[in-house]
Amino acid sequence: MPAGAWAVPFAVGECSHPVVRRDPREEAGGIQDPQLRGHMAGQASGRIDDTLLVREAQRGNRAAFEELVRNYDQAVLRLALHLTGSEPEAQDVYQEAFLKAYKSIGNFRFECSFYTWIYRIVTNLCLDHLRKRQVRKEDAPVATDASGQQYDVLDQIPDGRSGANPERDLMRRELGKRISHALEKLTPRERMVFELKHYHGLKLRTVGEVLHTTEETAKNTLFRATQKLRGALADMR
Amino acid sequence: MKCEWVKENVLLYVYNELADDARYELEQHLARCADCTAELKTTRKFHAMLSELPVEEPSPNLVAASRMRLQEGLETAEQGRFWHRLIFDPAAWLRQIRFAPALTAAIFIVGFAGGIATTYKVVSGNGAPIISGPVSTPAESSITGIQSISQDPGSNHISIKYNTVSTQEAQGSLNDQRIQQLLLFAARNNYNSGVRMDSVDLLTQEPNNMHVREALIYALRYDSNPGVRLKALDGLGPYVKSDPRVRDAMLETLVQDANPGARTEALHLLEPVRADSSVRLVLQKLAQSDQNQYIRSQARIMLAQLPEFD
Repeated sequence: MPAGAWAVPFAVGECSHPVVRRDPREEAGGIQDPQLRGHMAGQASGRIDDTLLVREAQRGNRAAFEELVRNYDQAVLRLALHLTGSEPEAQDVYQEAFLKAYKSIGNFRFECSFYTWIYRIVTNLCLDHLRKRQVRKEDAPVATDASGQQYDVLDQIPDGRSGANPERDLMRRELGKRISHALEKLTPRERMVFELKHYHGLKLRTVGEVLHTTEETAKNTLFRATQKLRGALADMR
Repeated sequence: MKCEWVKENVLLYVYNELADDARYELEQHLARCADCTAELKTTRKFHAMLSELPVEEPSPNLVAASRMRLQEGLETAEQGRFWHRLIFDPAAWLRQIRFAPALTAAIFIVGFAGGIATTYKVVSGNGAPIISGPVSTPAESSITGIQSISQDPGSNHISIKYNTVSTQEAQGSLNDQRIQQLLLFAARNNYNSGVRMDSVDLLTQEPNNMHVREALIYALRYDSNPGVRLKALDGLGPYVKSDPRVRDAMLETLVQDANPGARTEALHLLEPVRADSSVRLVLQKLAQSDQNQYIRSQARIMLAQLPEFD
């Protein structure tokens, strides 16, 4: 049995819909704006393809659902990976998100785009993850080093990745860690808004939709998050 | 004053979230104000620094592993919403026709007039196949194409020829050729794994028939759904000794099936023929270098139970 089961074309059987063609704009690497880190837009097919795939998936066509997944899964994985910082946790979020989507695709009524809908599912899972983490953090073992600074014992576990320039890598990991710490000081919602806007380039309007709130609220949340981060990282050059 | 407004909005500016007119005004102000320009510089530096926690692209391994795990999850996920399959979706139906709205009304009229449900049943004796006639209510017959449209000149009369695919039903026992034909067709061609599973399930009750056995072997080799493959394995099990094709298909499954459950099942079903040279060769290879620990150890055990040759 070929392991490449993802290659099953969804037009097999009695499907009488036209075969979905990939949007040529997508192949040409669409979005040129360097500011826009929204790889999601580049990865997804045009809206109309999604609609056909969603309808097929709603009829129980699993291959159509798998095609839909393929349009979005790298972006979802990228988001989960950056947010959780761990590959296994990112995989868990990915698995939960798409299983949830599969089970509830029947309830999707096209009142928003599939893009927004899937992002909403992933974001809610991420928020849950962040909340759980906050609770765990309160009990995390903390020690004080020679200069009186508190640090997380769990962070001392070495990374295992060896680089060409160990000192620079160490520095970079230090900075990265400090940013991680600062991000953890945000509330889950603030963290989510900041993550989606800054690291994944979503427009504030989309962020609002994804979080079931207004663009204005998302904007204010972004301001608060940025202020907190600047405070926490004030001494970094 | 103006600087206050600019300082508040410089963040949005850096994120390219400002409306065009606001952006223009801000840029105009920046050209004249050193203070605000410094603020912009600070904000940009802060943003650059945040990229010390870069967004990494998931590795191809991670993507592949996630997809495979999801696929397995989807197999077992409950899709207990088969009422969806019965939904008549007027929007999709109409889109298939691709018509000016005025004419779609005509189609409805023609459709209803010409396709009123005509069901009939032929009953004859015990166990003989009962065949129902075409049931073509608009909900169940989908229009596959419009052949022609013509309008009588100078009148309101429109005539449209259209083709339909209608759902039919066949009933009978497993011995009926027609039923068997349909089952064989379903096992290979249906995109719905549930239907394939049902047909393979029924076919396993009749594996003495050459065609049926071929269909089971085909399902074992090529079906994308591991549940269907396992069902086929079950049905073929008793024939592994008498039919070398069955044995070979099981060997293939053992070596290369993506699903560990199917591999294990194949391994166990090959027990009666473990002395065959082809089987022994495979077992030796598995015992040495297979990734799966259970399979490795089972292969070793099976080899150990063989009498020593050469």
